[in-house]
Amino acid sequence: MKFRKADPLMRDLRRVLPSDRVRVAPLERSIMGRDASIFEGGRAGPVCFPISTEEVQGCVDAARRHGRAVVPRGAGTGLAGGAVPLEEPVVVVATKMNRLLSVDADQRVAWVQPGMINLDLSRALAPYGLHYAPDPSSQQVCSLGGNVGTNAGGPHCLALGVTSAHVLAAEVVLMSGESVVLGDADGWTPGLDLRGAYVGSEGMLGITTAIAVRLTRNPPAVETLLLAFDSVDAAAQTVSAVIADGIVPAAIEMMDKNIIWAVENFVGAGFPTDAAAVVIVEVDGLPGGVAAEADRVAELAVERGGSVRRATDDEERALIWKGRKSAFGAIAQIKPNYYLHDTVVPRTRLAEVMNQVYEIVDEHDLQVMNVFHAGDGNLHPLLLYDAREPGIMERVHAAGSAIIEASLAVGGVLSGEHGIGIEKRDFMPLMFSEADLDAQARLRRAFDPEEMANPGKVLPTGASCAEVNALGKVPEGVWG
Amino acid sequence: MAVVGGRTQWEIGGQCPEETRLVRAPAGVRGFDPADMTIRVGAGTPVEELDAALAEAGQRANLPVSPGATVGGVLAVGRDDLHALGRGRLRDALLEVVYVGDDGRLVTAGGPTVKNVSGFDLCRLLAGSLGTLGLLGEVILRTWPRPAAQQWLAGPCDPVELRRSMYWPSSILWDGEITWVHLEGHESDVKSEAELARSLGCEPTDGPPPLPAYRVPTGALEAGQPTGSYLVQIGTGMAYVSEPRPIPGPGPAVVTLHQRLKSEFDPRGRLNPGRDPLAA
Amino acid sequence: MTAKKSLGIDTEEMASRPALGIDTEELASCVSCGLCLPHCPTFRVTGEEWASPRGRISAMRQVQDHGMAVDESFLASMDSCVQCRGCEPACPSGVPFGSMMEATQAELARRRRVDWRRWGFRVLGHRWLLSLLSRSLAVVQRLRLVPSKRLGLPKIPLVQERLRATGNDVWLFTGCVMDAWQRSTHASVKRVVESAGAGVALPSPGAACCGALSLHAGLEDHAHALAARTMKALEGSAPILVDSAGCGAVLKEYGKHLGTPEAVAFSERVMDVHEWLAAQADQLPSVGERRRDVIVAVHDPCHLRHVQRAHQPVADVLSSYVTMVTLDDEGLCCGAGGAYAAMQPELAASIRDRKLEAINRSGADIVASANPGCTIHLANAGVDVRHPLEIVDEAIDYDG
Ligand SMILES: Cc1cc2nc3c(=O)[nH]c(=O)nc-3n(C[C@H](O)[C@H](O)[C@H](O)COP(=O)(O)OP(=O)(O)OC[C@H]3O[C@@H](n4cnc5c(N)ncnc54)[C@H](O)[C@@H]3O)c2cc1C
Ligand code: SF4
Ligand code: SF4
Repeated sequence: MKFRKADPLMRDLRRVLPSDRVRVAPLERSIMGRDASIFEGGRAGPVCFPISTEEVQGCVDAARRHGRAVVPRGAGTGLAGGAVPLEEPVVVVATKMNRLLSVDADQRVAWVQPGMINLDLSRALAPYGLHYAPDPSSQQVCSLGGNVGTNAGGPHCLALGVTSAHVLAAEVVLMSGESVVLGDADGWTPGLDLRGAYVGSEGMLGITTAIAVRLTRNPPAVETLLLAFDSVDAAAQTVSAVIADGIVPAAIEMMDKNIIWAVENFVGAGFPTDAAAVVIVEVDGLPGGVAAEADRVAELAVERGGSVRRATDDEERALIWKGRKSAFGAIAQIKPNYYLHDTVVPRTRLAEVMNQVYEIVDEHDLQVMNVFHAGDGNLHPLLLYDAREPGIMERVHAAGSAIIEASLAVGGVLSGEHGIGIEKRDFMPLMFSEADLDAQARLRRAFDPEEMANPGKVLPTGASCAEVNALGKVPEGVWG
Repeated sequence: MAVVGGRTQWEIGGQCPEETRLVRAPAGVRGFDPADMTIRVGAGTPVEELDAALAEAGQRANLPVSPGATVGGVLAVGRDDLHALGRGRLRDALLEVVYVGDDGRLVTAGGPTVKNVSGFDLCRLLAGSLGTLGLLGEVILRTWPRPAAQQWLAGPCDPVELRRSMYWPSSILWDGEITWVHLEGHESDVKSEAELARSLGCEPTDGPPPLPAYRVPTGALEAGQPTGSYLVQIGTGMAYVSEPRPIPGPGPAVVTLHQRLKSEFDPRGRLNPGRDPLAA
Repeated sequence: MTAKKSLGIDTEEMASRPALGIDTEELASCVSCGLCLPHCPTFRVTGEEWASPRGRISAMRQVQDHGMAVDESFLASMDSCVQCRGCEPACPSGVPFGSMMEATQAELARRRRVDWRRWGFRVLGHRWLLSLLSRSLAVVQRLRLVPSKRLGLPKIPLVQERLRATGNDVWLFTGCVMDAWQRSTHASVKRVVESAGAGVALPSPGAACCGALSLHAGLEDHAHALAARTMKALEGSAPILVDSAGCGAVLKEYGKHLGTPEAVAFSERVMDVHEWLAAQADQLPSVGERRRDVIVAVHDPCHLRHVQRAHQPVADVLSSYVTMVTLDDEGLCCGAGGAYAAMQPELAASIRDRKLEAINRSGADIVASANPGCTIHLANAGVDVRHPLEIVDEAIDYDG
């Protein structure tokens, strides 16, 4: 569809935003049709770049008057297709609302605009000795509004919790055009936890225009251990043993042989390339507890046949983390494309499910690398492929479905941090009954009765609710 | 229809009419694998029983333990205990809940793992909902290790100053004159942090002061003339007062959202009639 | 679609050539993860997807794969790119953005009917013409007849020191603009290299230009002709030392661009001068006490950091002569980008503002940068910026 200047929707949008911040060029609309997921073919209607809450309200009002849906977008790094526009909605992009509004170091609260980049916030907080705890691997680029949208997690969310635990309040523009503050920056307000219901709603309840985040004190002591094992089983058992021992480290990350090899080739972080798996454990806090826990972790690893390297200084610690964080960068050496999955299993079932993942991947004649948040059972199998190989996508999707089913079979869940979006929408009935999904739809309707905010995501539509769709059956033209 | 737990906070947020049919939620531990650090219990389980079961494995849940209270009741009321500052909020303890909806269907919200973003986060909505959106039947909670050492201290020091100097106190309470601080963790750390607290004017004490009866947001302390005594739970936005006082009202959009949620989840008003989370 | 004429685009020719001629494999390699976004200077200052590597690739795909018309917004997206290649090392999928952008620019250049750059950059291949023009420019500058600041031009010396060869252990590549405008830098570089015990050979006047500017403007044929000439002028097997990051990057890629065995062998001999010096660290004379107190921040030119990935040796060489501080902006581009500062003055200035903030935060007295483009661009904003080896040259106690 073409948008002309005289189009009534355009006219109304241009009333609230200067014309250089409402775009309809075909190029702009197609560029905004994608996020970091593998979905292609989404298409934006008018693309708006508001810079204030009032402007966001104006965009929502204009869209509502013309019966057009609204899709909020942050940095577009979502992996589930949450920000992919379906049927040419008005796209509201938050990247120009990227300011730090205020910091109260004593109350440990900062107000930020939704377009602020996650890492920029922690950088800005460094002089106060504070940081923002959730650190997704995409933190150098993803927006805090997007993080609230997906309830993002990261390596350091094991002890401190994911985004939801760090959001005190959110200012939200509802689809009625009203602006409302959910939660309270002080920490508590009477009533239902609307804030909690909102975090992770993938842009389907409203548009975030400001966020009050909880700030965390930098730990006085840190110990980082690199554990290497001869088998994935031993590594996974060590992870379970650490948790069972009553230790809640700041982070427990695991990498398997393939990814270790690729990372070593790529950045040379000093990982043992002959190991079947390495586990990075970081404990932080006050020095006494840190020392005791680091000793105990080392002991548990050695008991299970592991070897232990302890970072002796910040430089060595940084190098270990560099190895972990360059994991994505290392993949291109092996295959041009990857599909990153995200399921969670009970921590005691890690070894078992990982072995199943290897079997599934073998069966479908694919390659896999595992680099994931082992401490909370959050698997991230990366399926490697070359999209130009004929028929490959069917195999990739089939393997993906099998991994999801294997995770659910042991009492796991569909997604640990990337969200449902379009990607797993039609898998929802595997985890939830009709009544469960109906309850989620009720929440949606209470906030957005006309279902104008980011339609077509998360909740399977009535028809497909009954039948369990395979991954490939995402709406036509969207699946890439 | 309403679920009764231990009736320890039965009148919070209003009273059910006489004719309300009262039911009890199932009780008992349904599944506990200590290595997973999660526990599945019937909502009617007394919190003391939950705590005892976890204590055997050296664990605890982040639920206030009070005599007679049930797990479901504590979650429905949603009152954090005194340690929310260091241990996190009560609402974050809830991983999965099975509840009875207004139409009598069983609904599962959330999931059994410690991390989960599958669909909307109904668990947060139900914690603190006073059972007005659904009747909690069974829950899965995240558990934490019990710390090796703990210590309360109190003294006439500035609570903000104290918070600035300590790394991770689990609680700081302040009644306008005296500050109480609770430390927990590794023995040597508790000792060194206690030293720090002493240097700021605090001395070891047996425990926290008695809580005044009414919970209010800290904003309510600033508004209006203070009458009676109060206790502020530093860093959590909560305070307790001995005399009820006006609370700054929610905005109209927040009230509308509450009404809409109620009419979506319970259009016929069958669940815990007469009770209002906004009045809690 | 009225904009086309003013852009000098041949509508008819465009219709007949829908594709951009980008390698299909390269174009398919981007998985649109967005990890490059914060490393792109134009995205950083605009927050706009079309001004980001991911957006530009997406735009290239629209034109090449989906037959979308080359319109004003497409040109804006491509021409606003500094070609700093900051996106390349940041990319987990190893997307060769530089080569895709070069292909796109080559195609756009073919379609542009009139383009002053075609003529402008040809001058660079002719040393006599360039020095004639430069000398006239130096005169008019002194007569204040041209607004140098606004055009981003450096103050051009009237009289140039003459360089003399001292042996044939290594070649010193002298280039075009730099040789004409900043010959004193070459003199310093030459002294430092000689102090490590090497005799320096200089190319004859024919080997004037590496071809970088032509290449970035999409004038491939002209660039290739310059390359052939340059290779001929630097014969033999001695290492070819380059003191301009932009030239070094292109010389190192001759092998890739020309694809001939001679070109590959030539590229293998090319080294950034700091790479060579870092390897001879023990041969270098010790420091005279006087410059230890000077605080120097290194600004890594993009073509050294992102393309040659050889920025570390600069710091290694400098650190034994002066006190160093690092800039905290992760090596983001300064906005100079060859002719970019002249073509996109507004974006270039906002990008530079970010850099200036980082320089201010660092507390440095002097900024060292191994690329003439960056030096000129930063100096225009009032920064005291020198070539790293000028600083070393001054610090070395040649008599001691
Ligand atoms: C290489 C890579 C690594 C990653 N690692 C992690 C990881 O470790 N942990 C993790 O959790 N995720 C990870 N992700 C996924 C992604 O970065 C997160 O989901 C992130 O939170 C998305 O932020 P964004 O700003 O890009 O949001 P977008 O992708 O733009 O949007 C995400 C969702 O939020 C909604 N949204 C965005 N802004 C707003 C707003 N202002 N108001 C309302 N809704 C809004 C959108 O509609 C959409 O549904 C990774 C992604 C990549 C590419
Ligand atoms: S980092 Fe690489 S793969 Fe990712 S969007 Fe940028 S160019 Fe594409
Ligand atoms: S070359 Fe530089 S300006 Fe161009 S897209 Fe890459 S990072 Fe951005």
